[in-house]
Amino acid sequence: MASLEGVTQHLPAIIVAVPLLAALAVTALWWFSNKLCYPLSVGAGLIALAASAGLFQQVLSYGVVEYRLGGWPPPWGIVFRVDHLNSLILVAVALVSFLNLAGSRVAAEKEFQEKVGAFYALYLLFTTGLFGILITGDAFNLYVLLEIASLTGYALIGIGSGRASLSGLNYVFMGTIGATLYLFGVGCLYVITGSLNMVDIGAILPNLWPSKVIVLAFLLCLGGLFVKMALFPLHGWLPNAYTYSPSVVSSLVAPLTTKVMIYAMVRVTLTIFTFDFAFNKISLQVPLVWLAVLAIIVGSLMALSQQRLKKMLAFIVVAEVGYMVGGFWLGNRAGMSGAVLHIINDALMTLCVFMAAGALSFRTGDDRLTSLKGMFRKMPLTMGAMVLGGLSLIGVPPTCGFFSKWYLISGGIEAGHYGFVAALIISSLVNIVLFFRCFEIAYFEPFSGSAGHQSGPMEPDDRSSTVVEAPADMLITLLTAAVLLIVLGIFSGQIVTRVIHQVIPALTG
Amino acid sequence: MKRLGLIAIMVFGGLLFSISFELPDLGDARSPASTHVSPYYIEQAIHDTSVPNVVTAILADYRGYDTLFETAVIFSAGLACFFLLRITDRKAPKARFYRHLATGLTLRVEKGGRLPEDTKEFERIDSAWVPSDVIINMTCRLVVPFIQLFALYVIAHGHHSPGGGFQGGVIFGAAIILYAISNNLRRTLRRTSERTSALLGSGGVIIYLGTGLLCILLGAGFLNYSSLSLVPGLDPVSARSYGILIVEIGVGIAVTAVMVWIYYNLASAGKLDEGL
Repeated sequence: MASLEGVTQHLPAIIVAVPLLAALAVTALWWFSNKLCYPLSVGAGLIALAASAGLFQQVLSYGVVEYRLGGWPPPWGIVFRVDHLNSLILVAVALVSFLNLAGSRVAAEKEFQEKVGAFYALYLLFTTGLFGILITGDAFNLYVLLEIASLTGYALIGIGSGRASLSGLNYVFMGTIGATLYLFGVGCLYVITGSLNMVDIGAILPNLWPSKVIVLAFLLCLGGLFVKMALFPLHGWLPNAYTYSPSVVSSLVAPLTTKVMIYAMVRVTLTIFTFDFAFNKISLQVPLVWLAVLAIIVGSLMALSQQRLKKMLAFIVVAEVGYMVGGFWLGNRAGMSGAVLHIINDALMTLCVFMAAGALSFRTGDDRLTSLKGMFRKMPLTMGAMVLGGLSLIGVPPTCGFFSKWYLISGGIEAGHYGFVAALIISSLVNIVLFFRCFEIAYFEPFSGSAGHQSGPMEPDDRSSTVVEAPADMLITLLTAAVLLIVLGIFSGQIVTRVIHQVIPALTG
Repeated sequence: MKRLGLIAIMVFGGLLFSISFELPDLGDARSPASTHVSPYYIEQAIHDTSVPNVVTAILADYRGYDTLFETAVIFSAGLACFFLLRITDRKAPKARFYRHLATGLTLRVEKGGRLPEDTKEFERIDSAWVPSDVIINMTCRLVVPFIQLFALYVIAHGHHSPGGGFQGGVIFGAAIILYAISNNLRRTLRRTSERTSALLGSGGVIIYLGTGLLCILLGAGFLNYSSLSLVPGLDPVSARSYGILIVEIGVGIAVTAVMVWIYYNLASAGKLDEGL
């Protein structure tokens, strides 16, 4: 089985190279045939998913995997460095992007028509960028891949209708500022260490400690990533960008971008600057947790005042970013484990609710809360998935959302940070109100043809016959995502003890 | 809000200023940046890759993976421009305008009327049309081939002097754009269609990525060009040199094509082949 061994040895390269190759092939082939785009993209997504699962298995059995690009050893060449943390998130990201891709065919063809090939190519490039951010062990390389993910993200968001171009432009400005700050930080690190390899910098920095440049670099890197992950008060670009983008795009970008950026924050803090520096030498912990508390409260309250489903969900994303940032900066084992577990849980939960919202608006034509009327009867399975996603975001036990919230809350109690605990509980209560308001409209109010704002040529009878359960492929992937929420919930304990605890530094107390 | 921004910038500037004293001096030979990894590159690049230009060796080999994705960034930019700007549902214009070349008269042809498309005596006038000027035309016609030749030189000579795929690609793309500006978009599109530029754009990146993947098939790691030495008559070091040349050519093609592709979409506001 020499050939199989050969393949497993190159899994890290395959994860990045195959989606990129598929994106290029789709761009080229699409000028000849529109039909090849979807199967090719799904195939590439599947290969990436299989490769990341294989890599996860390797990390579980043999520990950290290092892959040297071009055959050059670390400080001189670029390396992929895969440990328990990023292999776990790689699987989650590959899974989310694959599920969304597999269910995107009908909606993408309707939305992009002749440009569907460009859509799939950008989609694959976006996921390539995210994989690259997750897998790399090089601080500058992270920036390059961040550019790929951002650039394609801007294009995908800007193509939407209505105010999408404006919100896309806003995102371009904010995203560029964020990326520039991060690059500036990496530049500062290079000036004082002469290295770009994360582990190498991490080994050099403690010797340079009293230098103020380290503090500046740390602030710049974190600040840049905070803009990118939309941490309050830098979240301004997010709600509109996710609301006005096409549904297939928002169910890709919303679950993944912010989560991968939170991973980047964890990686930069723990590997480059090291735990000791970030938590003991400088005291950012308290302000950052309070910022997260504000993010949670503001996100939840803003979500409460929205009239559109997608915008409401977008503000929930803002609140969820607060969960993870706060949990991480609590600095204890429970809080950090909760934050990392919440990265994967939240990716799936957000996918589930955004896909359900996409399926609903695909049939009803808009995403106002009022057009949810009678949807339990019209689209029972879609609404079922929505309920599961909602319960998970609220944090009801069998679903995975409960477990990460449990870790976060116990981390908060352990650290004696009751403000954070209170914010989590308030946010859960607000989520109850948010989702049960939707469910109430969808369950109790009868379906009416003229429910939405549409006063166009569609007669009520026409609408009631066009509004049926979502197309099969959309529905299957949506239900898979919903079921996975429960599966993930069941395995939460194992994930935390076998995977996440391997990377969270052993702490006292 | 403006005042808030001003305060933020002042604070940030002050921070940078206060920290600048701790940074090593410009060009300091004892600074970490010139003592940690750089000496290895400077001393070993020629032995490792047989490329005299250290910058090229770092860019395309030591950090070749970064450069692969820099090329992919450029490709993404082209694709994003196309995706956002291109208008695909074309509406036939109500009337078309043609200029009679000999007399300079302009004809207006209503929809359904007979179009003098194929004759050499008429010239279509639309949003992409530019009045042609003999002096500009002739000058550009003389200059364009030399620019293209220079672009090829820059790509090929990246091993020895400043240059390489990105610079050469930009120059080559500029030559095509110069032709489009001095003549007109319609004629340029007939020579280099949008499809050609898109295919070359992705083709260029595929050359780069394909070289990397070929290295895996030949038994080494991704982008490890030394495995290309399985080709008879090559030792691992010169295989690296040739690998760098191949990827530089890929970069050059991709950059050229994407420049042209972006120009097409920007210059015609995405309408491109309206009525063609």
